[in-house]
Amino acid sequence: MSESKELVTVTVDGTAVQVPKGTNLIEVARKAGVEIPHYCYHPNLSIAGNCRMCQVQVEGMPKLTIACNTGATDGMVVRTQKVSEDVAEAQRATLEFLLINHPLDCTVCDQAGHCKLQDYYYEYNGRASRFVENKVNKIKAEPVGPEVIYDGERCIVCTRCVRFCEEVTETSEFGVFNRGDKSVIGIHPGAELDNPFSGVVVDLCPVGALTHRRWRFNTRIWYTQEVNTVCTGCSTGCNAKVAVRDGKIVQVKARLNEDVNKEWMCDEGRYGFDRFQPKHRVVGPIVSGMDSDWTSAVNSSKALLGGEEPAAVLLSPFLTLEEVWVAMMFARDVMGLDAASGNIAMQLRRRDLSKLEQILVSPDYAPNARAAQLFGLCGNEESWREAVERHYESVLKQISSGSAKRILLVGEGAVAEADCDAALVKGLRSASVSLALCASHPESDPVAAACSVVLPGRTVHEKNGVMLNRDARLQRLRMLLQGPIGTQPEWMLLANLASGLGKKILPAEVTDDRGLFRAMTGSLESLSGATLVRIGDSGIELEEAAGGKDGSSDPAAV
Amino acid sequence: MKHLKILTANVHHDDQIELDAYERRGGYQAIRKVLKMDPAEVTAEVKASGLRGRGGAGFPTGVKWGFVPKNTGKPIYLLNNADESEPGTFKDRLLMERDPHLVIEGMMIAAWALGANWCCAYIRGEYSFPALMQQRAVDQAYEKGYLGKNIFGSGFDLDIVVHRGAGAYICGEETGLIESLEGNKGQPRIKPPFPAVVGLYGCPTVVNNTETLAALPWIMLNGASSYNSIGTEKSTGTKLFSASGHIKKPGVYEVNMGYPILDFINNECGGMRGDKALKAVITGGSSVPVLRADELEGVTLDYESCMEAGTFVGSGGFIVMDETTDMVEACLNLQHFYSHESCGQCTPCREGAHWVEKIVGRIYHGGGSSSDLSLIGDVTKQIAGHTICPFGDALVVPVQSFYKKFPEEFNERIDSALVSQIGNTHV
Repeated sequence: MSESKELVTVTVDGTAVQVPKGTNLIEVARKAGVEIPHYCYHPNLSIAGNCRMCQVQVEGMPKLTIACNTGATDGMVVRTQKVSEDVAEAQRATLEFLLINHPLDCTVCDQAGHCKLQDYYYEYNGRASRFVENKVNKIKAEPVGPEVIYDGERCIVCTRCVRFCEEVTETSEFGVFNRGDKSVIGIHPGAELDNPFSGVVVDLCPVGALTHRRWRFNTRIWYTQEVNTVCTGCSTGCNAKVAVRDGKIVQVKARLNEDVNKEWMCDEGRYGFDRFQPKHRVVGPIVSGMDSDWTSAVNSSKALLGGEEPAAVLLSPFLTLEEVWVAMMFARDVMGLDAASGNIAMQLRRRDLSKLEQILVSPDYAPNARAAQLFGLCGNEESWREAVERHYESVLKQISSGSAKRILLVGEGAVAEADCDAALVKGLRSASVSLALCASHPESDPVAAACSVVLPGRTVHEKNGVMLNRDARLQRLRMLLQGPIGTQPEWMLLANLASGLGKKILPAEVTDDRGLFRAMTGSLESLSGATLVRIGDSGIELEEAAGGKDGSSDPAAV
Repeated sequence: MKHLKILTANVHHDDQIELDAYERRGGYQAIRKVLKMDPAEVTAEVKASGLRGRGGAGFPTGVKWGFVPKNTGKPIYLLNNADESEPGTFKDRLLMERDPHLVIEGMMIAAWALGANWCCAYIRGEYSFPALMQQRAVDQAYEKGYLGKNIFGSGFDLDIVVHRGAGAYICGEETGLIESLEGNKGQPRIKPPFPAVVGLYGCPTVVNNTETLAALPWIMLNGASSYNSIGTEKSTGTKLFSASGHIKKPGVYEVNMGYPILDFINNECGGMRGDKALKAVITGGSSVPVLRADELEGVTLDYESCMEAGTFVGSGGFIVMDETTDMVEACLNLQHFYSHESCGQCTPCREGAHWVEKIVGRIYHGGGSSSDLSLIGDVTKQIAGHTICPFGDALVVPVQSFYKKFPEEFNERIDSALVSQIGNTHV
């Protein structure tokens, strides 16, 4: 929102801050540590100025002014609700106005608990309403698309959803209909809110007017645990906040991150968040198709140890960066392979995207595919996606042709579903050893079924770690669900297997994911500056993670 | 008092709507003169005349033109605001119906001064006949070559489009008008930016009231000094007042600024209908505060005197009410208008306009309570000045002024309501 690089000084409630000239006062105040309440303003949408919640007093202006549409000028003195009774009164009144025709059905509203009307009313009004007339009745529970449903009475007509569909997706399904207190949001005749980002309007809605059809009435938000993680649908790595209750993902919200996804997220990612959880799980080692134990599994994997037989390793793009690192060490120390050997690859299949999807979605299903480049699996080409796919195809061919005799598949999704054909199964079966670390049970997964040894791994939502997105940004992946008893994250399986085979690939003190992260950043120069605290909720560029940069390699900070 | 006829000199001629008759009576002479002048000179002349916007706000016209940035590489647009919807106002209608060429000539002068080559007359949706007459006049002007390319051989091109609104009061607000003209829902824009900089289709735009534009030919022919010698120091020239209500001769009257209100009622309006006593007057359309009969002594029809008396000249919608008027009902009538016309864009007006109407309605229908008047005071205070456009300020004016100036009528309703309620509980 800054129009120029010129810095100006603005005083907000007595605190002077320097901001680029023209920055809107909501952002200026944020910088000064003051929150100005707002509904219609969104940093990535045009200014509508209709909610009137963000009014502030600017010295020299005769009336209160809306902060969202006022640009910073040098020497500006701003007073917010914290110090100005006029502003506080105007905001109190705005809230009273917003609620006079609101149904106050919080008890059955999905938004209750994370509703800006509730939050602001408690914070900035907190008085009883003086409205004793009849409320206006408007349209209720109107499906506006396959995923979204609208309640006109709860709506405060902030038009965030209208502007999103006009300005970001440019599909313009929404409009404001009628006038005055009969104003409602609606879908234009013949249209339907079915664009690939339709769920975003629910995130944008500050109240309970737009809700997810599939998640409606499924839980109160305060019974859930909300986890800040990233979407693993593709390599964009959209920041998400996932609500989990009783071992189930019950709601997914996009999280604001200017450098990655603004506050947008595609429907495929959002509504498909739990598609990575197979129904039928491996919960213990399986050897030759029979439930077995760890000792037999280790014994049956001995053929993996370095030898003359050709080997092939396929990594899942759903592994965390740490796990890829451990897998690379396993391949080197146990199997005698290195990145340059051409026998290690990461699964990646490119896909076609519609023009609209391209504003956010990446043409792959591989959230951590960029890690392949970091570990030297695809050269340093500009078009890394093609390179990763080419290497994957090459290693796949080594397996299906029967030339690879020592085969290791690490992680759920090490082979793309479409690539599992008869030749591949034959190749896996004809190998001296084929070891799969995965979550799907062989009964429902033909790849695992063809492997001689299967070890019980975790899905991408059952582990903590870091991911590297398409723009080489390190972001934290957080555990949403507990893995079933008997399963272990892939890095632990690999480390235990290596020690069973007489090799030590991880130091003994690495017992959890934090220790693992510390061990990885300690051994890789390119990550030596990264700490989990620095990566935080919004991630850092890989360049910033290199050693020496504002040197927070203090282990205590991890 | 003899009033100068600047705008209404020829409206009584039935053939004035024809281009030839208009020209025979001295029409299209001012534009011929103006086209030989420098546009800056024209602006300076209008500035010197002291002409103020006749739509209601009374902003100096020449100054408004001066806000338009030059050489932006974008076209400049002139919009003739004929969306005359203020309750009690019907003055522009007379000009369009009876002297449409005067309006066209005014638009031509303003367009020349601004460097605009495209001009639109945005006419209120309900004004089908005025729009018809205006369109007819525009067609005549095109036919005669007075509009289009190379007007009067000056090299100046001007196109005028007559556009009819769809019946929303708010489209008379200049940015609402622009939105509507662009084909969007008629809702005002947030300012800044102002239309003079970012207006129609993002280009510099000036929106002038029809009456303002119609005054331009006379000013350019007779000079700024002749114009500003009429009226008072800050209110120059003449103004149209559309008088309605409990008077003998309702109609549109052109009077010199500074004319006493009581004289206007007694002379032009012919006095009170049925010779009843005067109770109240709204001087400039429903959006200005009402004046009680006892407040009218010495008040004259000009910007300064009206302001001193606590009201405004506004659009000149002059509404007279006699002693039989029920002020609570009158107030409810106006509040109903405002709540019906609230565009619903911003919170205080969308919710507040209806709330106020409901409270006044409750009082009128006998459900009022003693705290209602202070509630109205609180609510209206929080609407005024807190909205995107001046509609919020306008809607609180009737109710605020009515209950402050006629508290006894409101209190009487509330008290009788209380009595009846108490009575009910005891039965």
